[in-house]
Parts: sequence; C-alpha cells; structure tokens
Amino acid sequence: MPAAAISVESLAKSFPPARSGWRTFFQPFEKPTAVALAGVSFEVREGEALALLGANGAGKSTLLRILATLLVPTRGHARVAGHDTVHQSRDVRRRLGYHAGTDHGFYARLTTRENLLFFGQLNLLSSSAAAQRISQLAEQFQLGEALDRQVRTLSTGTVQRLSLARALLHRPSVLLLDEPTRSLDAIAAAEFRRFLKSEILRHGQTSLLFASHTLPEVELLADRVAVIDSGRLLACDTLSTLKLSTGASSLEEVFLRLTGHDTAASTGDRVV
Amino acid sequence: MIRILRELWLFFWRDLSIARTYRTVFVLEAIEALFGAAMFYYVARFVDTPALQHALPQGGSYFAFSLVGFVFLDYLNAALDTFDRSLEDARDSGTLEHLLITQTSLPVFVAGSAIYPFVATTLRIVVYVAWAAALFGFPLGAANWLAVFAVLLVTLFAFSGLGILSASYLLLFKRGNPAKWFFLGVSSVAGGMLFPVSILPDWLQFVARLNPVTYALDAMRASLLGGAGVVALWRPLAILLLFATVLLPLSMSVFAWSLRRTKITGTLTHS
Repeated sequence: MPAAAISVESLAKSFPPARSGWRTFFQPFEKPTAVALAGVSFEVREGEALALLGANGAGKSTLLRILATLLVPTRGHARVAGHDTVHQSRDVRRRLGYHAGTDHGFYARLTTRENLLFFGQLNLLSSSAAAQRISQLAEQFQLGEALDRQVRTLSTGTVQRLSLARALLHRPSVLLLDEPTRSLDAIAAAEFRRFLKSEILRHGQTSLLFASHTLPEVELLADRVAVIDSGRLLACDTLSTLKLSTGASSLEEVFLRLTGHDTAASTGDRVV
Repeated sequence: MIRILRELWLFFWRDLSIARTYRTVFVLEAIEALFGAAMFYYVARFVDTPALQHALPQGGSYFAFSLVGFVFLDYLNAALDTFDRSLEDARDSGTLEHLLITQTSLPVFVAGSAIYPFVATTLRIVVYVAWAAALFGFPLGAANWLAVFAVLLVTLFAFSGLGILSASYLLLFKRGNPAKWFFLGVSSVAGGMLFPVSILPDWLQFVARLNPVTYALDAMRASLLGGAGVVALWRPLAILLLFATVLLPLSMSVFAWSLRRTKITGTLTHS
C-alpha cells in the first residue's frame, strides 16, 4: 500500500472571537472559542487526488492552511510526507506547493519572469535551474507572452495560471489548491482542469488535495472525495462508494444527503 | 552562509527591481534633498552666532550640526520604520503568505526586507550631504570616513531591533508603530538632534543619557565633523553594540512569537 503523502489525525482548530476597538489588544491572547475544525482524520496517498467538498465555512481552507504551515492547529496532528506541519514546518514547505484561488500574492510591478525567479530561488532553485523551469512551465501554462510583462498588466486567468506555475516551480510532491478555479471564466477553468489532469496528476508523482465548490471539477480530478460540514469529516471515499453508501445518483445528491440538506431544493448549477 | 547571502541578495534585487519602475522618484528625492539642505543653510544663517558655535560640541557652524542631526533622523526613521512597512506591504499585496511558505528562514526574511530601504536611505543621505557640501560649504574635510561608516553600521544594528519589535506589534495588533513614535518623539527633544543636550534641564539630560540616539548622534558628529576615529569613539560604539546585542536577538524572538500567535489566531493576513 502506498505511503501517505498527507496524514491528518484528530485535527482541530478553533479561533479566538473577532474583536474591534480597544478589545483588539486582547484578541491575540483570548481563548479560542470559534470552532473551524473539530477532530478531522484522513490520509491522502502518494499520487492520489483528494477533493474537499463542503459549504462555505465548513473548514476546508482552514485545513489547507494548516497543511501549508500558515496556521497552527489547536489539537491533533497534520503531516506532509511524514513531516509534522508544526515542528518540521521547513521540511513540509520543501515538499509543498500551495495555491489559493482568491489570493495570488505577486509583486505587481515585477514581470512574470522576475516574480517566478524570485520565488523559485527562495525555494532553493539555482538561478539557472529556476530559469530553465520557468521556460518549461511557461510553455505548459501558456505563459510565454506574459513572461516579460509586469504582473499588474495580466488578466485574472493568466495570474491564476501564474500562481499555479509558482506552486509547481520547485517540483513539490504535494499540491494544495484552495478553490483553484474560483476566479476563472468557464473556458479558462476547463483548461485549468485539463492541465491539472493531464500534466500534473497523470504521472502519479504529485499528490493533490484541493477544495472546490464546483462538482464537475471534483468529479474530473478527484480519486476520492472528503465531505466536510461544520468542521467535521462526514465521509471520505471514492465517488462510486459514496453514491452506493448514500443511495445517491450524483455527487450533488451525495453532498446534500450527507450534510442533511437533501430536502432542500437542488442548486441546479452543480455548485455547492 | 552563501545561501543566506544569496537569499539576502534576492530580497535586495526584488526591491531594487520594483524601485526601478518608479524612476522619477529618484530625481524628485534628489531635488527634495537640495531644498532640504538649502533650508538648513538659511535657518543656520538666521540663528548662527559665535556664542552658539562655541556651545556646539565640535565648535562648528549650526548648519553642519543641524544637518547631521536631521539626516541622522532620516536614518533612525528608516531603522524604525522599514520592518513594519515591509511587513505591511507584504500583507497588503498578498505576498506575505507566499514568502512564509518558501524555504527562507524568518531572520533572512526580516533582514532581507530591510536591506534595500537601508541602502536607499544611505544614498539619500549621501545626496543630501553632497548638495550641502557642494553648494553651502558643509565641512567634509575633517571627516573620518571609516568611523562614519562604523557609526552608521552599528546604529543600524542597534535600532533595527526596535524596528523588528514594531513589526511584531504590527503583526499582533495590525496598526501602529509605538517604537517609532516613542523613540522619534523622545529623541527629537532628548537626543541632541537640533540642539545640544547640554542646554536641557538636568532630568532631561538624564533621559538623553539613557537614550542610545544621543550616543549615536554624538559619535556621528564627532566622526563626520570632528574627524574622530574608531578608537576615539569606542565608548558610544560599545554602548550601541551592547544595545544591538541585547535588542536584536530579543526582537527576533518576539517577532517569531508574534508570528506564531497570528498562526494560532488566524490573523496573519488581517489588516
């Protein structure tokens, strides 16, 4: 059986309540009371693609941010390639590529190439290796024309592709994507999914954990689906097994039944 | 070590590349420096008397005394302001998270973000002094450049600790720079920037003696205007080094702790 690329054990995360005014000064020291994750456990195997499916506020982004070492869990453990995200965060980051669909984080006045060179070298690529990798990714992501343009002049879709290219620069073994196609139009989103499927997942060397509200995306990319609701993992299995166990005929129905919303009207647009 | 230097260079290269896209700023700052030097020259002409010159530590003109105080203030401001400004920029542009998930260590990230602003401030000061020397007779003949460089370097280290503490405050509370307000505020009165501390009442002179800015300024004036060498300046340099030795590791620990707090509270990217 392949080893776990990601391993999450009884992972819990709570945040202190949001404060305003003079109470802001006490907020960093307040007891965390708002539960975002309530003891989640699962594994992502090497080369596997696992989708996190859940409504807004279910805890998907919190989970991904803990794995990306950007949050410290309240309880439990998260490991990437066997390394603990809190105590071995540097080892984790070496193996990790992270891309959030809502936050691109580039230097707007630097060119695409300059941005990629900067981040690539901070991830321990030599300047020549980074330059070579940039050319390779630019071809794969159709970024060739954008390479010598300032990032502020690029379209949202191009920046999205650029963000994924950055996540892949140092050839991470684990890729975390948080709603990767959120700000893409339908055509760009379809291209993005096709690229992920054919260029990243096909070789089986990269494990993927991604959060998405777009059901066709989940169906196309995921080997297994984890359904999360209010910080709890409701189910984690292959789509066919989930359909079988819930008696549902579609992923949408699976989601609605598992989260107890099956009496509600169908969303129609296959987005949860 | 080579890796650390390479990463520090990368941060400098990043900031230089961004700054190059705003080329007119360089020209405007050079013109601003000219007007600034002219202002100090004419203020000094208005207030300078032989008695005043006699009261100044190096016995020179008030123009030289006040200009050194003013450009030094710029340096102090850079040390206190750079770290939290870099952090704020990274947070607002969304690059902070992406920097934190690279292989760069926290001290390199903090130090790297400050290199360009320090170099730019140094260049601005050089332009200021160059205008003052070329057009208004600022006395550079006696300067001991090695000592000037040593004083600048030690001052940077000494006050960077305060700047990093400010950045920690920003991480936790999102707004404000109390170290800057406090030190610039105290130093503008009890630091000897525009007048010698000897004219202050006793209790303010006591405050000035506790203030590292006083030592840094005295050393700077002594080396630039009085030609004092590194050996002669051992006492202020040792005090500043002591300040740096205590404050830099302490401030890095506080910064690391603050960063961890924001990862616990989930407020890393909040502004």
